[in-house]
Amino acid sequence: MPVVIDSDKCGKIDNCPGEGLCIKLCEQGALIEKEGNVILIPENCDDCDLCIQNCPNQAINKV
Amino acid sequence: MNSITREGEENRFLTHKNDKCVGCGICASICPTESIKNGPVLPIARGLVDMDYINIDKNNCCLCGLCASACPFDALEFKINEQDLKEMEEYPKWIKYAEIDTDACVYCKACETACPQDAIKVARTLPKRENLVLGEIDVDQEKCINCKICEELCPGDAIKVKQTGRETFETVVNEDKCVYCLVCKRACPTDAIKAVCSSCAYQDIKLNPEEFKTHGNTVLNPDSCVNCGWCQEICPVKAATVIKPFEGEVSYDEDMVCKGDSCHACQDVCPCNAVIISEGRSSIDPRFCILCGVCANVCPQNGIHINRTKMNLENIRSKSWQNRLSGLTVGK
Repeated sequence: MPVVIDSDKCGKIDNCPGEGLCIKLCEQGALIEKEGNVILIPENCDDCDLCIQNCPNQAINKV
Repeated sequence: MNSITREGEENRFLTHKNDKCVGCGICASICPTESIKNGPVLPIARGLVDMDYINIDKNNCCLCGLCASACPFDALEFKINEQDLKEMEEYPKWIKYAEIDTDACVYCKACETACPQDAIKVARTLPKRENLVLGEIDVDQEKCINCKICEELCPGDAIKVKQTGRETFETVVNEDKCVYCLVCKRACPTDAIKAVCSSCAYQDIKLNPEEFKTHGNTVLNPDSCVNCGWCQEICPVKAATVIKPFEGEVSYDEDMVCKGDSCHACQDVCPCNAVIISEGRSSIDPRFCILCGVCANVCPQNGIHINRTKMNLENIRSKSWQNRLSGLTVGK
């Protein structure tokens, strides 16, 4: 099951304390930037959960 | 850098050296005032954020020195009146150490190559070739047809055919490189090479075995050594001895879904190069693990468990210090 991004908690990358840390951590290309937002490409997600663990806003979860 | 100074009847000073820290969190787990918080270890280790591995709350820290005593990486420096805690009789002492017996060392450089912290430097002087083999070689330029057969065959790159003019060539032997193996002599189609290996041909050739030896110096820098055991395990002559900071074992949750190559967080943070990722799973080689626990901190599945049975620290100051430190050896 791919991760889920809570867009309310996430906010724009400009406001992220990690400056889009999840995108930098994801080596599968499952998280990308689009117009200042973090976008999930579910088919690329490998469920490593590094983004969940390291998101400074706790905005990424599993359902 | 995180530093705290407090002046009173005595002056106490604590500083954190981020370059030695790995983010294992041992200090944070034993701090009696809970003044130390781990930073985002994996993003720091991968260079994605510019932060220190730990953050010390200066207003809350009681400057007891427990963290500096227990840090297996010597990343916390604690001083009272300018004197370092490690030099003070009443403070704990590590039994951990790493040592290379220079008398036994053969300067093979295996430890230098393997050391994950570049803490070992091997300097060596090889014996001179002329002290290892003796002989004579000469090319008869009258007979030589400069065919280059010898040049192509020479295993020591010691014989060269040089063009000296429009139609003239010369076959030249570099006697510093020649080891008198006689390959050229035997292959020469015109019998132009006269060569003999004196060491083989004459029983009475006296070479001095003392001059066959490689001399050198192997230096282990204790400031960067993490006592991981690589040098001890890899040394072919058992010249290295390592006592690790902790004894115990690492275990994985049996039902953990390790993502191996996709994640490799544990491998990125391990200061000991003890993590192997193969067939999509990580595993830890106990020979090189020092049980610092940084891998367990960063595993997004929380699937790694550090079970320490003993801490190689002695001269613990008091019962209360012992109580705090005992938390490290009950597993986590």
